[in-house]
Parts: sequence; C-alpha cells; structure tokens
Amino acid sequence: MRKVFTLLILCLAAFYTWAAFADLSFLSSTGRLGPGFFPRIIGVGLILASLFELTLESSRGREHVLASEHARTTLIVAGLTGLFVLSLDFLGGYLAMIAFLLASLTFLNRSRPVQNVLIAIVLPTVIFVMFEHWLNAALPRGMILPEWLV
Amino acid sequence: MDLFDNLWLGMSVVLTPTNMLLLMAGAMIGMIVGIVPGFGPSAGLAILLPMTFGMDPVGAVVMLAAIYYAAMYGGTITSILLNTPGESATVASTFDGYPLAQQGRAGPALVMQAVASFVGGTIGVILITLLAPLFSQVARSFGPPEYFLFAMMGLLLLVAMVGEHRTLGVISALIGFALGTVGVDLETGQQRFTFGSAELIGGIDFIPIAIGLFGLGEVFYSFYTGIHVSKSGSIVQYQKERRFWPEARDFVESRVAMIRGSLLGFVIGVLPGAGATIASLMSYSVEKSASKHPEKFGKGAMAGLVGPEAANNAASAGAMVPLLTLGIPGSASTAVLLAAFLLWGLRPGPLLMTQNPEFAWGLIASMYLGNVALLALNIFAIPLFVLMVRLPYRLLAPAVILVCTIGTYSVHASMIETWFMLAAGVVGFFMKLLGFSPAATLLALVLGPLAEEALRQSLTISRGSFAIFIERPTSLWIIVITVAILLLAPILRRFQAAG
Repeated sequence: MRKVFTLLILCLAAFYTWAAFADLSFLSSTGRLGPGFFPRIIGVGLILASLFELTLESSRGREHVLASEHARTTLIVAGLTGLFVLSLDFLGGYLAMIAFLLASLTFLNRSRPVQNVLIAIVLPTVIFVMFEHWLNAALPRGMILPEWLV
Repeated sequence: MDLFDNLWLGMSVVLTPTNMLLLMAGAMIGMIVGIVPGFGPSAGLAILLPMTFGMDPVGAVVMLAAIYYAAMYGGTITSILLNTPGESATVASTFDGYPLAQQGRAGPALVMQAVASFVGGTIGVILITLLAPLFSQVARSFGPPEYFLFAMMGLLLLVAMVGEHRTLGVISALIGFALGTVGVDLETGQQRFTFGSAELIGGIDFIPIAIGLFGLGEVFYSFYTGIHVSKSGSIVQYQKERRFWPEARDFVESRVAMIRGSLLGFVIGVLPGAGATIASLMSYSVEKSASKHPEKFGKGAMAGLVGPEAANNAASAGAMVPLLTLGIPGSASTAVLLAAFLLWGLRPGPLLMTQNPEFAWGLIASMYLGNVALLALNIFAIPLFVLMVRLPYRLLAPAVILVCTIGTYSVHASMIETWFMLAAGVVGFFMKLLGFSPAATLLALVLGPLAEEALRQSLTISRGSFAIFIERPTSLWIIVITVAILLLAPILRRFQAAG
C-alpha cells in the first residue's frame, strides 16, 4: 500500500512540477527570483524523493502494512463524515449535526437508541448556542430552517 | 529599585477587584476557546475583542492578555487528549502527549503540561521585565537570511527526529511546502496553482489542514485499529496507573527540560514570525538529543512534552517584546493585541513605558498573575478533561468529528476549508498508516511561505549570492547550532553509552 501511495504522490508531484515549469517563471520581469523558483525546487525534490522511496520499497520486498478487520467501519465513518460536510449547505449546521450524530451513533452504538437520540439533540444544541450566540461564529444557514429560527 | 517600583505600580493597577475579575474571566474564556479545534489564540482574541469595547483600557488589556495566554493552555489540552493541535506551536505536544494519554496517564500529562506552561510563562515574564530592551536589539539584528535559516532549522530538526523513515519525512515536508505555495505570490502578485479558483487565491490555511491531518486522521486511524471494540473501548488502551497526579520521577525527569525549554522559547519567541512553533520544535529536538533514553521519545516521554510546552509559553511572552518595545507584533495574536492598543489610543513602542507606565507595567504584572490563575484553573479542571479519554470511543469519535467540522467552518465561514479538512483527514489517515509524517507536512505548510519569502529577499539583497548566509555572523551561528544539534548529539550519546 505504501508503494501505491508513494506512486500517487509521484504522479501529483509530476503534475505540480509541470505546472511550475509551464506557468510560473523562474525569474520575474525585473530579474529577481520569480514565482516559479521555489515550486520548481519543491517539485523536482518531491519527484526525486518519491522515486528514491519507490526504489527502497522495491529492494525491501514485501511490505507489512497493518491489515484490519475494521476497514469497513472506517470507510463508513469517513463516508458519513463526507455526507455531513455535503449536507451543511443544504440542511444548515444545526440539522446537519443532528442528522450526522443520529446516523453515526445508530451505526456505532446500535444497542442504545435512546442515548443516541439524546446525544443527537443535546450536543448540537449546545454547540449551536456556543458558536452562534457566545462566540459569534457563523454556522451554515442551510435552506430548510427559516432565517428567524437560526 | 526602579524595576521593583515599576512592578509594584503594575501590581497595584491589576490587583483591584474589577481587574482581577476580568483576569479570571479572560483566563476561563481563553481556555475554553483554546480547547475548541480551529480556535487558537489569534481567532479567540479577534472574536472576543468586541467584548472589551467600553471597558477601561487597563482592564480590557488585562482580560485580552489572559485570553491570549489561556488559549495557548487550552490548545495543548486537545493536543494531548485528542492528538489535535490547536496551533502550530502545539504540534510538538502531540508527539509524546497523546501517547501518554493512550497509556492512561492523561492526568499526569495534563498536570505536567500546566506546570511547564506556568514555569515557561513565568520565566518569560521575568525575562521581559529584566531584558526587554536588550532582546529587542537582538531582534532588530535579524534579517531575511536569519529568518530563512531559522525556518529551515526547525524543519530539519523535525525531519531528523522522524525516526527510521527519513525519506518519508522528507516527502511529507515537501508536500507541506507544495501546499504552502498555493495562492498569490507576494512579490509578483501572480497566482500559483489556483487553477482559476477564487477560493484558492488566499492560499491554503493552516487550521483545516491541522484539524484534518491530526484530528480526523486520528479518528479514522483509531477506528481502523479497532479502538472502539478494544477491551477498554476508549482512547486509553491500557491502564498503567490510575493516578491523577504526576509521580516524583515525572518532576525529576522534567525539571531541567522545563528550564531549558523556557529559556530557549523566550529567546526564539522574541523573533517576529513563527517563533513559538520553531521554539517548541527546537526544544523537543534538544530534549531528545540530551536525553539518556532518546528511544522513549515519541512513546510517552514526559520530557518530550514539558520541554515544548515550556518553550511555547515562554515564546508567547517573548512575542510581547517586539510589540511593547518596538510596536511590531511578533505573531497573529499580538497583531490583534496591537489593534486593541491602537483602539484605546495607546501606541506601543519605545515611549510606551515612559508615557503610559501604568498600562505597560499593568500588562506585565497581569501576565504574572495570569500564569498563577491559569495553573490553578487547569489543575482544578483537569479531572473533567481526563474523563474525555475514558469515554467510550464509539460516543466520543462522532462528537470529535462534529466539533472539528463545525470549528473549521466557523473560523472563516468557508465550505472550501471544510472540504480541505476532510481531504486532509483522509490523507492524514493514510500518512499515519504508512509511516509518513503529518507533523512535517503541517509545519512545512506554516514555515514554507516564511522560508520562501526570506530566501528570495536574502538573494535579492546579495544579488544572487548564497554567501550571504555565511558572511553574516548571526546566520553563521544559526548554521553552527543546527549542525551541532544534528551531528554532535548522536556522537555525545555514544560516548555516554560507552561510559
């Protein structure tokens, strides 16, 4: 898996370096170091370091990456987090928090539905009050709840 | 005697019922704000500044200074309990702080962190009192070559400490550098890697990447390793001891680290820029190099936590030196403080102490008292914080994801930053799984732009000659110190082991 990840970094580094050489000049119009100076060094360095690491990985042979029976759970939690972020603009901060907690606690804490519902209501309410009224920090408004309610 | 008279003046200004109340309120608010992921001292100060309008200037600045200090204390709590640093200066606290929490030693870790912060903050304030004018002269001698070398020193030390996988550490740092180049080039105004997106013009902020790499990444990794179904079911994986208070050996192990970290932190914190970040990293590196058991670092070594903690609090005090003596803010937080001072008609600079002595010395006196208040507050609140690591992870993790996401969004009300946080979470998970260094990425993101700007300025000054880094005495010293730490420390350790 590390080889694949390093290969992915190599591809992104190649794209980054290409963009640095193609779009950004090494020297500015006044003869000073330009916007492409640092990115070119970083890009080339990243390519070389990734290639070196791939070579090392090949010489090391079979890698031992921690395998896990909980990969499915991890994927579902990450997926729920992604849906939570996606729903912020539509549902608004308050409703999205409730929905996320209900979904994730139902998945992780299946045997205690009452506890899950209580947490899903109380925690978002506390966070809402703390951020909106005390810290004056904006939460996403969403399109469902009327303006006066939030 | 002048010094004591001035301090007494400051104390008499602060030790009024109203100002003490404001100090305690500021300390509590600052700690809570610091605990929330996404809110560090600068965001906390900026949001809470309007609360102080209409107050007496001395009272207002006492409260703001307390918020500034306390937010640093609070940011470290999440570093230790949740592996989520609140600021770049508290990244180093995750290296040994979180492993201590996993070992069931969250209580002793938090107490030692509070004590180290108190020692660092107090020593820092004493040094301000005694040496502010001298240090401001030193700060003025620092130019772009020195800043570049300092930034590189911080990163080199980190990569050197990553352990066996140095190449992975280098790759991680380069990824951070690359992320730091996104946005607008300061010298030419040209957009870099924005691909026409208006959202990327401002660059990639530290907060969503920090919360993603460390906070979300750690949550995903914890699920992957099955913490939620482990015997304890919580962050605490095995209970070495149930003690809340540190043991005598913790104090013995830490006493020199605290003093060393405080002195180092203050000296580096005086330099405008990423002082506290570099200070905490350098302190970690020095402690690891000086330790008889460097193999324990990264696995719950108390010295690895208290050194950086003392350093970053002393650096917070040090950052006040350029502000008070030159009127130049040393960090984002002190920039907000400067804005506050100007609002009240005060002009920080060489004349502040002579024209408004009750204000300047009141501020310094409030820092002494603030440190005492924070130590007491922390220690009383710690049992509450420790409960967090004993909560079942299946309940704690969704709450952490929630607070991280909302905290990230609320800093700039930006959805794109929230998406960055999520992407960084996924990347952070794989980095942790595969042996890369999220810390190196994050710190390169912070130090990279500073290093690039300083390097370009240096080469402009020297007309393209790299000799500028050797010709200036201060630069040469920085190179020598870096080489000494990197090369001599392992040699000294071998001598110690042989002896």
